[in-house]
Amino acid sequence: MYDDFANPWTIRLKWAYLLAVVFALLMPVFYTIGISFNLHGFGARIYEFTFDWYRVVLGDTLLVISLKWTLYLAVATIAATIPMALLSAKFYKRTRRKVAFVALMLSPLFVPADIMGSSLLVFFKNLAKGFAWLGQSLGVGWFDSWFDLGFLTAVIGQIIYTHPYAFIVILITMSRYRVQQTEAARACGANAWQAFWHVEFPQIRVGVFSSCAFVTILSFNEAVRTALLKGGFDTFSNMLVAQMLNIGMSGESYAMAGIMSIVSMIVIGTVIVYTLVRAERLERRARAMAEPVMSG
Amino acid sequence: MTDRGRDIPAPPARWKRLVGEDGIQKWVFYIPVVFFILFFAAPMALTVVWSVFERTQFWMEPGFTLFAYENFFTSARAENYVLSMLHAAAAVVISFVIGFPIAVFIRRRVTRAAQHRVILLFILPFMISELVRVFAMRPVLGRNGVVNSVLMELGILSEPITVILYSPLGVIIGDVMSFLPFMIFAGFLALEAVQNYIFEVCDDLGTGRVRLFADIVLPLAAPGIFAGSVFIFVNSMGVALVPTLLGGPGAVNAGLIANQAIVALDFPLAMAISTIMIFTLVLLLYIGHRLFDLTKILEPIS
Repeated sequence: MYDDFANPWTIRLKWAYLLAVVFALLMPVFYTIGISFNLHGFGARIYEFTFDWYRVVLGDTLLVISLKWTLYLAVATIAATIPMALLSAKFYKRTRRKVAFVALMLSPLFVPADIMGSSLLVFFKNLAKGFAWLGQSLGVGWFDSWFDLGFLTAVIGQIIYTHPYAFIVILITMSRYRVQQTEAARACGANAWQAFWHVEFPQIRVGVFSSCAFVTILSFNEAVRTALLKGGFDTFSNMLVAQMLNIGMSGESYAMAGIMSIVSMIVIGTVIVYTLVRAERLERRARAMAEPVMSG
Repeated sequence: MTDRGRDIPAPPARWKRLVGEDGIQKWVFYIPVVFFILFFAAPMALTVVWSVFERTQFWMEPGFTLFAYENFFTSARAENYVLSMLHAAAAVVISFVIGFPIAVFIRRRVTRAAQHRVILLFILPFMISELVRVFAMRPVLGRNGVVNSVLMELGILSEPITVILYSPLGVIIGDVMSFLPFMIFAGFLALEAVQNYIFEVCDDLGTGRVRLFADIVLPLAAPGIFAGSVFIFVNSMGVALVPTLLGGPGAVNAGLIANQAIVALDFPLAMAISTIMIFTLVLLLYIGHRLFDLTKILEPIS
């Protein structure tokens, strides 16, 4: 809503405040990135641009291996979370117990990482013991390593963490979709899958891809739950925490923080630019359709 | 087989019925519910049970003892827990004071089409790793950091201030910087419930800003504000990263106490702290729901 009688200077002042808050939130991150490119590190009087710290990080075999694990984890999390978020959004539309369902789906947002990680750690340890006991009782060995801390438990922890975000994004996109279109498709002979894939999905595709981007970033950045549930491997963010606590603020730490920030900015920046361009295109198309046709 | 000259389709094969819309397809939609009950609700509920188990040297065994709770309430941990509640409450208030006016501004003064674009500005900082954002506060708030350098350069300070890092104030600043965008998102979503004509009517009647805010905006946007506040409060209490990196020696919160118990292999104590934390969260949400009906938050997406 625009107020034509509002003092323009008040409006400008409010915009300045808004941008100042954005600047305050982003400044530390950009400052850290700036330090990561300084040969002399933090606090030096001279600024000499270099990629050396990044070379050190990317030349460290352990860090490269941790990057690979981070990537595997992100891929597995996306592969599981996005279909689940789609199913959850579809289920939300059809269930009568909406409040209970949403409470269950969104509750992980309100449970702090350390608390959830601790609970899941003890849960999986007990589950692994339970399965080992079951295997022993049945005289078979293949229950032994189920739910031992490792890749699977880390993925489960990440699914629980990322699912609420993906669910909200898809649900918001789906709220603009009219269910009558599915009914029309079904009336024309399409089965449920065809109606979803050919009619509904093209309209919610943007939300699905956006949630893929969000899940990638959240998975890439996640440190606490993964540290508790990962078992024997390390992710990039876990390595950064270890580096910060054991070595302190070294040039390498700044470069690692820089890599994490730059990856997040590229992914989310792409989503934002794409969203803005698409919104602009749709607006232009809507304006063109609304304009009266001039007769010759 | 014919009926009045028309072919009646043969009933679908048994396997088709099994995988059809009344068969497996119907149950596929329950996968997320089952997954979340199994791997989220069950572990959270079982936390209460494990908290009364007996501690062994490296693990715990079934039994019933309130030793973990006694250990918590009779040590400095309880005091630290209350202290972290106070820090979290301060972070909520500061986030509200800084963030909510931005949400109101976006909702009231920015055109409808541009509102979501402005909100996107706050998505970017929110999506950068919390670990990096907290870590990045160190060179900003430190003795030789940006804040001190700028203030000294401007002549406002004669010597650097040290109270903003490795102190309770550092923890509060870290919490605000970490969770402030969420107050803006929650506030913006909450204001979706306040229709534009309400503002217009108030403008026409010449309602003052304070009265408009206190009597109109606040009650209508209360469910969203409350949800945002609970999110910030609980995470400020439970995310151990902030006191670890910005709090200095002795700084703790509930998450860090639970973490320390895990490291000390005192699993019943860790579970007792988690139980107290979950109980605090459930209590807050229950009070909020009774007061403001939190289901209203879902109205824009329903």
